[in-house]
Amino acid sequence: MSKNLNENLISSLIDNNSKVLDIGCGNGNLLYHLEKIKKINGQGIEISPNGVQESVAKGLSVIQGDADIDLASFPDNAFDVVILSHTLQATHKPKEVLIEMLRIGKKCIISIPNFGYWKYRIQMLFIGVMPVSKTLSEPWYATGNIHLCTLKDFIELCELLNISINEAFRNTTHSIKKINRPNSYLNNLLSIEGIFVLSNNLN
Amino acid sequence: MGTTGPSSINKQEDVEYGMKFPIFTIKDMVNLQLALIDSLNIEQLFSVVGGSMGGMQALEWASSYPERVYSAIPIATSYRHSAQNIAFHEVGRQAIMNDPNWQKGNYYNTKNKPRHGLSVARMIAHITYLSEGAFQEKFGRDMQSKVLSWGFDADFQVESYLRHQGISFVDRFDANSYLYITRAMDYFDLSHSYDGDLFLAFKNTKCKLLIVSFTSDWLFPSSESLAIVKALNKTAADVSFVEVNSDKGHDSFLLEVKDFYKILSGFISGAARKKGI
Repeated sequence: MSKNLNENLISSLIDNNSKVLDIGCGNGNLLYHLEKIKKINGQGIEISPNGVQESVAKGLSVIQGDADIDLASFPDNAFDVVILSHTLQATHKPKEVLIEMLRIGKKCIISIPNFGYWKYRIQMLFIGVMPVSKTLSEPWYATGNIHLCTLKDFIELCELLNISINEAFRNTTHSIKKINRPNSYLNNLLSIEGIFVLSNNLN
Repeated sequence: MGTTGPSSINKQEDVEYGMKFPIFTIKDMVNLQLALIDSLNIEQLFSVVGGSMGGMQALEWASSYPERVYSAIPIATSYRHSAQNIAFHEVGRQAIMNDPNWQKGNYYNTKNKPRHGLSVARMIAHITYLSEGAFQEKFGRDMQSKVLSWGFDADFQVESYLRHQGISFVDRFDANSYLYITRAMDYFDLSHSYDGDLFLAFKNTKCKLLIVSFTSDWLFPSSESLAIVKALNKTAADVSFVEVNSDKGHDSFLLEVKDFYKILSGFISGAARKKGI
């Protein structure tokens, strides 16, 4: 449910025939969808060999690579849109990845799980364990999500890096809503994830 | 081997070319293929696929004649031959040229051909095509018979296997051709004309590329393929790259590795869909 919602939202934010890079494209479902619906010229990066194989087998152009390392080889503004969906928290250097994304993409769409979601806060406060949920499904010792943050944390990082948030959306359990004040207390409390459209102020 | 080579008859002298055959390059091979498709009135090839030296040719096509290839799949290859690979080739060539039967390449009409030299060259090369794991799995320390010879016969199965590889190669390969073809690979360096800046070699390519390497290939390791991928990224070219998991070494590209087949068929059918065929 939430996956399709995400796909539809991201698709609505992308113009026809754009050149799009999907970092951490998994098995290529999103790129495949975008190529069909928006006739994009797509490129993916994926770390898992299985993901790359499935993507290439779909006819997509995907490089086996690592967001932490391999963005450096792309030139400035190489893509109209760079997508980073549920991946930033799994990188070793999220700040550098964010900077690189904005260097190579004119517009960036990024979705991040919100560690400030009220259910996670309750698990911490009353049960005293690291939160586990559908979106963050692995226990602390097995998770690849090594850099989790709250929406508030993320917005502060964008301010620090002089990145403008052009649009923001909130994912609750059953719907995606556009939000006007992303940094509000309630937004940080009620969102399972946030989806942001970013651009570099320097551009 | 190929169309014309050192064993072909030089019509001016009515004798085999031998060492009078001119040195040729990977680009010469591709130019010959280009002449062929020109004569067949083929405007554009749908895909150029090749492994190892064939991969060098696929890269040369994408770089030199990008408008003539819609897609290319260079497999287990490099944009330039590494020092270690040149070194292995040199040992092989020395084995041939130091065989007394080589006779400076003029062995065609004599009784004795440089069989030993060529077979040793092939034995060395064959080691580089496999991997430590593949050798271990295939042979381990298995013996030919239960007792040691306490001498230098082929006690171990791996020895007799290599000897067989060497000898059977001699019957189907010309020693001089081996010298020329290994040299063509040594001389290959796509970045050479661009002062080492590889991405300039692909600056104009619109060709759809799939680069494939294998985890256990130490002759053309994945780092070689990654250098090509980086250069292609720099020009924002349409490129895919997969490192296929295989313990079979460089030879993997000739074997039925399941994931490799899946990727090839996926890429080719995807490209065909985009091309509308």
